Amino acid sequence: MTLQQLLAELQNFYVLSISSLLGIFRRSLKWRDVLEQMDYAGAGSFFIVFLVSLFIGMALSLQISTELAPLGLKMYTAKIVSISIIREIGPVAIALSYAGRVGSGMASELGSMILSHQVDMLRVYGADPMIRLVTPRVLSSLVMLPILTAIGDAVSLAGGYYITVAVSQQSGAFYWSQIGNELNFFNILSGLTKPFIFGYLIACISCTVGLSTRGGAQGLRRATTTAVVLSTIMIIVVDFLITQVLFFILGMQA
Amino acid sequence: MIEFQDVTVVYNGRPVMDRVSFTAQFHEKIAILGASGSGKTTILKLIVGLEQPDSGRILIDGTDISSLTEAELRDIRMNFSIVFQEGALFDSLNVRDNVAFCLWERGKASEDVVESTVKDLLNRVGIEEAMYLMPDQLSGGMQRRVAIARSLAGCRPRMMLYDEPTSGLDPLTDDTIIDLINELSSGDPTKRTGLIIVTHDVSDAVKVAERFMYLKNGRIQFDGDLEALKSTRDAGLNKFIKDIL
Repeated sequence: MTLQQLLAELQNFYVLSISSLLGIFRRSLKWRDVLEQMDYAGAGSFFIVFLVSLFIGMALSLQISTELAPLGLKMYTAKIVSISIIREIGPVAIALSYAGRVGSGMASELGSMILSHQVDMLRVYGADPMIRLVTPRVLSSLVMLPILTAIGDAVSLAGGYYITVAVSQQSGAFYWSQIGNELNFFNILSGLTKPFIFGYLIACISCTVGLSTRGGAQGLRRATTTAVVLSTIMIIVVDFLITQVLFFILGMQA
Repeated sequence: MIEFQDVTVVYNGRPVMDRVSFTAQFHEKIAILGASGSGKTTILKLIVGLEQPDSGRILIDGTDISSLTEAELRDIRMNFSIVFQEGALFDSLNVRDNVAFCLWERGKASEDVVESTVKDLLNRVGIEEAMYLMPDQLSGGMQRRVAIARSLAGCRPRMMLYDEPTSGLDPLTDDTIIDLINELSSGDPTKRTGLIIVTHDVSDAVKVAERFMYLKNGRIQFDGDLEALKSTRDAGLNKFIKDIL
């Protein structure tokens, strides 16, 4: 890719990111399209989020309680598990699953529509592809990823509870009281800000890449792969940046 | 009138169209011939403003559309209906909703009007029974017919644009589509709905068109009627049209 092409792609990304948000206020936005996308992105992702979260919670709890037991500190398992899940692992793991399932789906669907001239037909009939195709996808991701993350966090903590009580032989009531202590403003802010931004990024990246698909089946494969790879990298990088910003805003130090 | 003035389009450093110039009236029946990748489809996309030329001007009724916004192009596009290769049906909508799409987008037709218009159009193209099927349940020929019905819904185009409308079809279905295309562009030669058909099938082209253009290496190598086409001395074009000679 030449520098000129890279700049053109970046320009497309910025224009799409802004236009898709402005599209929310356009009268031509079809709320039925938004609901369809929410159903696909949200309800359709529930099972994968449930499974991923459950096993992450159990694995994390098992690792931490095993390491803390020889030190006589395994009563802190719930505290460490909850902070890890709510602040970091939950939002990142679910965003990665979301990028793999929904982001790739967006890129391949839009790419296929480009290649089969369906997007051209929308334009010929006077329908704005941004409003008909992109805004519903961005809006559904903005809403559904935070919801999925909240559900995933709860499932992870439940998985952690199972390991803590059944394997690590700790008190279940103590586990939940420690979790309750960690549900403070910072943790909840951190846990809900990230999926909101991740959802926006995944949808914008996937739509930009999908709409710039060229070159038949190979192009479609390239677009789908690029959407997932770029989303994955951006999730990890932006996660670090958001953490830094939140620490700065709330005056926390490492 | 459609007017191309020294239009050049470049893809990845390669000129797909190289200073192409021609004029066409809305009522004309034109076939654009050429091998795959010769820029035939690009001409159709340029006419409706789906692509912009790298240089040159495209005038529709005297308006240069090269610099128009999407909103401004809307009125220009009302003059045309386009049928893409393989139909380009919206695969998330059933046949009824595909045909009704234009009615919904371009007007405020009531559900009763939509229903009766869709039925009429599907009846006209002979596939009324497919009204509630999804595009992936249709054969190639049925998809083209739905696409033609959709192109007629909610608008009265002055010119139909067909991109390889018969490619990949069996001879029987091919004839049905050609008959349909002829029917839609029949009538008074100065008032009828014109057409531009892009194809590499010369036998189809001669069944529907009165004027022929041959594109090669991004340039128009030939522009004339059937008699001139048959008597051409261009070696490349002669190979291309050997089936009708």
